[in-house]
Amino acid sequence: MVLVLYETAAGFALFKVKDEGKMANVEDLCKEFDTPDSARKMVKLKAFEKFDNTSEALEAVAKLLEGAPSKGLRKFLKANCQGETLAVADSKLGNVIKEKLKIDCIHNNAVMELLRGVRSQFTELISGLGDQDLAPMSLGLSHSLARYKLKFSSDKVDTMIIQAIGLLDDLDKELNTYAMRVREWYGWHFPELAKIISDNILYAKSVKLMGNRVNAAKLDFSEILADEIEADLKDAAVISMGTEVSDLDLLHIRELCDQVLSLSEYRAQLYDYLKSRMNTIAPNLTALVGELVGARLISHGGSLLNLSKQPGSTVQILGAEKALFRALKTKHATPKYGLIFHASLVGQAAPKHKGKISRSLAAKTVLAIRVDALGDSQDNTMGLENRAKLEARLRNLEGKDLGRLSGSSKGKPKIEVYNKDKKMGSGGLITPAKTYNTAADSLLGETSAKSEEPSKKKDKKKKKKVEEEKPEEEEPSEKKKKKKAEAETEAVVEVAKEEKKKNKKKRKHEEEETTETPAKKKDKKEKKKKSKD
Amino acid sequence: MRPPVTGGRGGGGFRGGRDGGGRGFGGGRSFGGGRSGDRGRSGPRGRGRGAPRGRGGPPRGGMKGGSKVIVEPHRHAGVFIAKGKEDALVTKNLVPGEAVYNEKRISVQNEDGTKVEYRVWNPFRSKLAAAILGGVDNIWIKPGAKVLYLGAASGTTVSHVSDLVGPEGCVYAVEFSHRSGRDLVNMAKKRTNVIPIIEDARHPAKYRMLVGMVDVIFSDVAQPDQARILALNASFFLKTGGHFVISIKANCIDSTVAAEAVFQSEVKKLQQEQFKPAEQVTLEPFERDHACVVGGYRMPKKQKTPAS
Repeated sequence: MVLVLYETAAGFALFKVKDEGKMANVEDLCKEFDTPDSARKMVKLKAFEKFDNTSEALEAVAKLLEGAPSKGLRKFLKANCQGETLAVADSKLGNVIKEKLKIDCIHNNAVMELLRGVRSQFTELISGLGDQDLAPMSLGLSHSLARYKLKFSSDKVDTMIIQAIGLLDDLDKELNTYAMRVREWYGWHFPELAKIISDNILYAKSVKLMGNRVNAAKLDFSEILADEIEADLKDAAVISMGTEVSDLDLLHIRELCDQVLSLSEYRAQLYDYLKSRMNTIAPNLTALVGELVGARLISHGGSLLNLSKQPGSTVQILGAEKALFRALKTKHATPKYGLIFHASLVGQAAPKHKGKISRSLAAKTVLAIRVDALGDSQDNTMGLENRAKLEARLRNLEGKDLGRLSGSSKGKPKIEVYNKDKKMGSGGLITPAKTYNTAADSLLGETSAKSEEPSKKKDKKKKKKVEEEKPEEEEPSEKKKKKKAEAETEAVVEVAKEEKKKNKKKRKHEEEETTETPAKKKDKKEKKKKSKD
Repeated sequence: MRPPVTGGRGGGGFRGGRDGGGRGFGGGRSFGGGRSGDRGRSGPRGRGRGAPRGRGGPPRGGMKGGSKVIVEPHRHAGVFIAKGKEDALVTKNLVPGEAVYNEKRISVQNEDGTKVEYRVWNPFRSKLAAAILGGVDNIWIKPGAKVLYLGAASGTTVSHVSDLVGPEGCVYAVEFSHRSGRDLVNMAKKRTNVIPIIEDARHPAKYRMLVGMVDVIFSDVAQPDQARILALNASFFLKTGGHFVISIKANCIDSTVAAEAVFQSEVKKLQQEQFKPAEQVTLEPFERDHACVVGGYRMPKKQKTPAS
């Protein structure tokens, strides 16, 4: 005999199927339920188990959703359908009942049609339970069920990450606007400072400390700024072309600086929090792509669990939806990377390998996400292993290129391509490598003779700090140099290479010096003029 | 004289509406707002439009606060049209005095002195309203009907459907997202004819114990397999000879082919699932590349189906 289990918000009902032969014909089954009378001929209520209260109903239904019979249902079934066949609406539930209660369960299209029929004539088939009674019950049950679901939401931990990364982005944006506002505002008073201090936080700190630029000379910036920058600042403060501002104005600018500083401090805190959260929730993902990219991926997917259901190809272009759909629509190439572009592995790769690496990385990332979301292990070994593998692959890709360039992979190296300047037939390098002609530079306030100085001095292999030599000594030494240089012309060819190296060194050294302070520069110029005189 | 107007907020207009062009409901900023309170003026037609006050005067409710509003029943039972300076679709508020999503409310006095409150139904926010304005023949959702609403989101349209079916009817609102489900449950607290269900519409078995047989299924799930989702739910809950209303967003199903082709293929899919699509309307200008398909389910052979 076949019994049908029908669940309602009011309780469980068991219907006996009177005419089992009709179950074979699925299409016509629904016709049996067209009218209450024919429905009564088809099925008959055998037993009804009412829920005593809402909490019992909630418990039973919550169990049912997991595919397991509640205690009340087990008792009810034991009492009513031992040795019969039970038709259920959920195959999973059927399996559990079969296993636990040894009651045969069936679930097929005919059962679904049967249940559909019962549902349509339910109030006719059961006496004393009208629509008006059922409605408040399902209303109460649905509300408590919804409340239960929202309360025990599975992805609440991910929500923390999603909100944190959202806030981090907002903070960055806000911080930047505020910092730019400080620069703009204080710029009226001390425009030179913006050039001297490029870092926003340092800028805010210095402004906060300094207030009016007149104070700059008296203050000690050593805790905030490097020595040279401090010196620059103090020099610039004296000769600044900015307007004067009142103390009231400065008060507000300083307030803004406080805002910037406290925001940046909080941002650092938030970042630490995000880091620790990511390392506990998704250690492998974090190991592969880093906290920020990992958190963005989670936030884009909605939750870690959602993300774990995505294929690698989707994760690869997550965040590039606009480009993807445009490409699909116009039949162009689809994007190669989305959020994952900001992962350090992709950043390391050469432009031509970025696509390849992002694909491999996405594949491994998805595996890592699945381990994090569904696996039991709490460590990041899998992520680290895969990261090492990917790094090896990246080296491999780039190594291949090097191999091709040096020709070590196939046949002999083809050097000619890279040696067009070489004169054929003569061994060794004949022409010196091209160097920049410093003599061609025209420098304000300097003669061409002066600009030649450095390069010549270098030939002599003499000293490093030419400028510090006394002017009197300099002239003779220069002459000597010239002579020597002439004598050595034949040797030049061989030395050319070496010389060039030295040139470079020398120039570098000079650059360092010239970038020091304007004041020093002035000194130098004066010295040189004297020497010429 | 002036119809008493309650609460609500001035300003507003539509959220994110594309410019609606010169449709009957006058595009973007039609539903009033943007007027600050010069209540004392006498002449009924006295106020100049577009005085330099822009939107967002002091909070002051109602559409067309100054002019008389006449509410007339729409062709579809349960839906009304408020005729003021500009027309608006409205539903009778089941919970007078409460707005669900800061929509405007209009209250009108009957001859016998009783007041009835209506809520303005924004076609830019609700696809069902857009379909009604698009001229759909029959929405099948009428007072007393039982409706299964798939893709309820925060419950903006659901609240209007709940107005529409009235206390005799019932709306089962299914929404999967917990975030919007929260708002839905809150809305349902006030409206006892709404039964909120936080479940995946793909698995109707999970809410089989809550839902009885329904007369209409409204589906707005915007999923690639939405035809299948509708069919699954219909096989569980839609009565024989019941009806469906489905809103199809072409881009969600296939963004590479033309919208019309997508609609066609969806309609074909529906036909294979014992549905009988009767009519299809586009939701332009309220939504881009959307269509609304209405039809019957397991229609008896002999009976005449609604003409397309």
